[in-house]
Amino acid sequence: MLELDYRSKAMDTKFKINDEITVDSRSSTGHCRTPAYIRGKKGVIERICGRYPNPEEIALCKKDPKIVTLYRCRFKQMDVWDNYSGKDSDTIELEIYEHWLNDV
Amino acid sequence: MDKNYLKMGPHDVGGEESLPIDTTDNNMTHWEKYANALRIVVSSKRIITLDELRYHTEALGDQYFEIGYFERNCLSLHNICIQKGIYDTELFQKIKSKKISEFDVPIVDLPDVASINHIHDGKPHLHNMSDFQEDESGDGPPDYYFDTLAIAQIFIDQGLITNDDITLKIEQFDNVFPNRGKAVVAKAWHDNLFKEALVKDAKKAISDIGIELETFADIICMPQTDTVHHIVVCTLCSCYPRTLLGMPPSWYKSRSYRSRVVHEPREVLAEFGTIVPESKEIKVHDSNADMRYLILPPRPSNTEGLSEIELSKLVARDYLVGVRLPK
Repeated sequence: MLELDYRSKAMDTKFKINDEITVDSRSSTGHCRTPAYIRGKKGVIERICGRYPNPEEIALCKKDPKIVTLYRCRFKQMDVWDNYSGKDSDTIELEIYEHWLNDV
Repeated sequence: MDKNYLKMGPHDVGGEESLPIDTTDNNMTHWEKYANALRIVVSSKRIITLDELRYHTEALGDQYFEIGYFERNCLSLHNICIQKGIYDTELFQKIKSKKISEFDVPIVDLPDVASINHIHDGKPHLHNMSDFQEDESGDGPPDYYFDTLAIAQIFIDQGLITNDDITLKIEQFDNVFPNRGKAVVAKAWHDNLFKEALVKDAKKAISDIGIELETFADIICMPQTDTVHHIVVCTLCSCYPRTLLGMPPSWYKSRSYRSRVVHEPREVLAEFGTIVPESKEIKVHDSNADMRYLILPPRPSNTEGLSEIELSKLVARDYLVGVRLPK
């Protein structure tokens, strides 16, 4: 598995850089890398990171975990927190797997 | 809207209100280094994956914040081994008792000074009591150390790992990994072309200068600029480019840091003594999946003419996480 070039960007992806997205707001059980605070929030694709095995399946020891596209997404802090005390231009960036992202 | 129902578990702390951060790094005891090395060896050999370990750590429920970071690692590793049938409780207890007995040495009565001064080469030879002091004091090792030693011994007996694997990993974490990030940053300060390559594709640039990071995670380098201040956190656990920077400091793994940086970065930075002007954007990076981050600090002033080696001595770990800036 380690031999795979996870970082390869040469592929068709559902989302492109600067596309607007929302993070899905469903709840989850088991191991998952999408923090609660970012679910349901609107942002944009910052970059495409590559294709990685789905950690939700690795955690359950699935034999051939699905390979999924990972994106870095940028959010305005003002859009993430109700009472954000910082500046309008402050941002936060997270890595979100494709199956947690929706079109706007 | 109350979104608490989305919280995945005790570990999912991003956005919580929390206490001020203890910004001193409390370092690690030997047992913690041993536990860390075992975890890394086991996961890098893919005997048990990091995601399995995380999953079982998260499943500790209320215990998660009642015990320490390495205690959580040890307990989740043990729970996985039992669940997967790598060993059973009986074997574990047997090996653990043996490990405890290895530490159970009789306390030696320290000799009386008068009785141990003797004639040596025809002259009186005087000893100080300090020559006979035991080099350990206080309580014995914590119970989790015996657990960890027992788990490691079973893996060794099964031929899955060796003692040398663990020893090597402890040495790398002490002496090799922490220096890599410093060397990379010093080179970027010294060599503009390397800096450009580093920002473009950090993992490749680092590999091109002969540093193999032995990790499948990608590395992203974010340069601090006059207009943007970068800071890194992992709200879900403690993701950190360990083979580039060494072990994360204790505050990086703390509940306070993980909870607060995402929603009040300016306040957190101020606790580290870093005042970011209102005119600057703060960009928080939640290192929550497969990327790891290296923040490239600006080169300190008045360092013209310094060599890479001299520059590397000016690189502090805290710069590379973004909590402090060079003067």
